[in-house]
Amino acid sequence: MLLLLAIGTARAADGRLYPSGPPNGVAYLRFVNLAPNEVMIVSPAAKITIPANDADRVREFDPVTPGTALTGSVQLGDATKPLNLTLQPNEFVTVAVTGSGDKFAVTLLRETPTDFNALKSSLALFNLDQGCASAQLVAGDQHVAVVSDVAPGAVTRRLVNPVDVALAVSCGDPAQTVPVKLGGLVAGDRYSVFVVDSGSGRQVVAKRDEQAPFRP
Amino acid sequence: MDALLAGLAILVIGDSHMVTRDYLITTLHNDLIEQGAKVDTYGMCGANAGDWVYPTTVSCGRGERHDKGPPVVNYNTGIPTWTLDGLIAKHHPNLIVIEMGDTMAGYGQGIFPQGWIYQQVHALTGRIAAQNIPCVWVGPPWGSEGSTYHKTFNRVKEMSEFLATAVAPCKFIDSTQFSKPGDWPTIDGQHLTSTGYRAWGQDITNSLDQIVPQLVHRP
Repeated sequence: MLLLLAIGTARAADGRLYPSGPPNGVAYLRFVNLAPNEVMIVSPAAKITIPANDADRVREFDPVTPGTALTGSVQLGDATKPLNLTLQPNEFVTVAVTGSGDKFAVTLLRETPTDFNALKSSLALFNLDQGCASAQLVAGDQHVAVVSDVAPGAVTRRLVNPVDVALAVSCGDPAQTVPVKLGGLVAGDRYSVFVVDSGSGRQVVAKRDEQAPFRP
Repeated sequence: MDALLAGLAILVIGDSHMVTRDYLITTLHNDLIEQGAKVDTYGMCGANAGDWVYPTTVSCGRGERHDKGPPVVNYNTGIPTWTLDGLIAKHHPNLIVIEMGDTMAGYGQGIFPQGWIYQQVHALTGRIAAQNIPCVWVGPPWGSEGSTYHKTFNRVKEMSEFLATAVAPCKFIDSTQFSKPGDWPTIDGQHLTSTGYRAWGQDITNSLDQIVPQLVHRP
């Protein structure tokens, strides 16, 4: 309980990077740190630090104003890359930070989902591994394909039944899958699975999607 | 008197359709009382689903009514919202009825805000699911086209179809099934006449009669 309280307090203390959008037509933006070290996101209004531990790598989707240029920078160690993006109404954009040093990269992954469903679970596979030409999300011992053919820099999402099944990411060789640690899927919840080249092998990060409420 | 709802403690929450004396705060509430239920009704004008979860202030008034007492309506703006968690703790309902849809459908806006609606709805139903209380969600009626609310039959249909997939574990009552578009006249495009609210309240109650026996397990 104390740990949860501490996390909640830390998040509440974060500044807001961008003004939140109007409720209708609102778009959502989140940042994901898939790099081995902490990352700082700087906007004209605030800055946040995203740790490199799995529990905190994936931020929640924050409502932002669509049609407005959002600027800032991403800082990893001594390196900085500019941030300049505009979201469309109803769009969900994930900004993923990967690599380190010269291989530090910022990738935008855009979704305009229409699959919201409280009776199903929504599973997305984000491929941030340039060495994985066609990523797959597979289920069970038989490696049944749940999401297929996700190219590097792309995302594919699919509705599935909310079951408790072992998931893994495959990059072609069914004998070399990386397990996904998500636990049982809950009806109505949405999940993101990220596959990334950590520099020391293929790594998978998975988390339930969180949407922050609109705050004027 | 039908006994299907008798003895239940029903908490009803809703939007502006609950915040004027002749609206559902009277008609639906009376119908449920007549069936022998203990009823507490709360309405917050202009409220989205998330406004019952994240404390804020009401934009155009709020009303409440308890059992056979009269509706108490306060049209002041800026007064605090009620939270569903607080109302559950106060009334210990064994059935929650939510009437909401018009405030979230994005009338007058070209794009239907699916992601935002889902976040709002899921936040509210998540609080109910966490306490394992049966719930029923009542969608919006057709209303009228061409008003300053910019309500259109197409968007009401779109909203109702979306809510049907979004409100689980609550059961959904599709109010568009109770009448044909334009059958229930409105006073302003969105709010019904007294006759309309009587019909809507009765139709909701009849639907609850069908749904509740499968939903609420009596000892």
